[in-house]
Amino acid sequence: MKSSNPVTVASRKYLVEMALCMGAYVAVLVPAIWLLDRGGLTGPLKFAVAAAPVVPVVFVFLALLRYFGRTDEFERRMLLESLGLAGLITALLAATYGFLENAGLPHLSAWFTWAAFMVSWLIGRLIVSRYYGT
Amino acid sequence: MNNRIRVLRAEHDWSQAEVADRLGVARQTVVALEAGKYAPSLPLAFKISKLFGKPVEEIFDAESAT
Repeated sequence: MKSSNPVTVASRKYLVEMALCMGAYVAVLVPAIWLLDRGGLTGPLKFAVAAAPVVPVVFVFLALLRYFGRTDEFERRMLLESLGLAGLITALLAATYGFLENAGLPHLSAWFTWAAFMVSWLIGRLIVSRYYGT
Repeated sequence: MNNRIRVLRAEHDWSQAEVADRLGVARQTVVALEAGKYAPSLPLAFKISKLFGKPVEEIFDAESAT
């Protein structure tokens, strides 16, 4: 029997929405890369095709926001605190590496900031969970 | 914030999961509440009070509030 606990329902809906968003992401990313590789695109159209995969990512964030609204107050707090920690850790890493670039380290793609944020979010979540003993 | 949720839950012979379902929260929320690591919002405190049939001040220790 399916649980009717609102937090379980929120998690289930979030997983379904995330799966749909990831499917949409692949469905947009693959043709976008194919179109760019094929060449021939210029100007604003080229930029629009290159940035198109961001649209499903926006839906990922909307799914997260919906989960935020549906889940319970404690999970909401843990989510917010872990996101806050992730922001601080990422800012610190980005600033540190920025200074190290002055000392000769190679310039990195903005993608590293995204990756650093995701890893920091996981670390933030572990710290917050440990703090609350859950 | 210290509280008597664990004791009251034992008196009713409820598991943490049962209390979580009755309050409409996750089990981890009950874990954090019982450990005194998380002070609930006023609406959740009143829900807990109603569930155990005790006034809020008999469940939560105001002196331990941080």
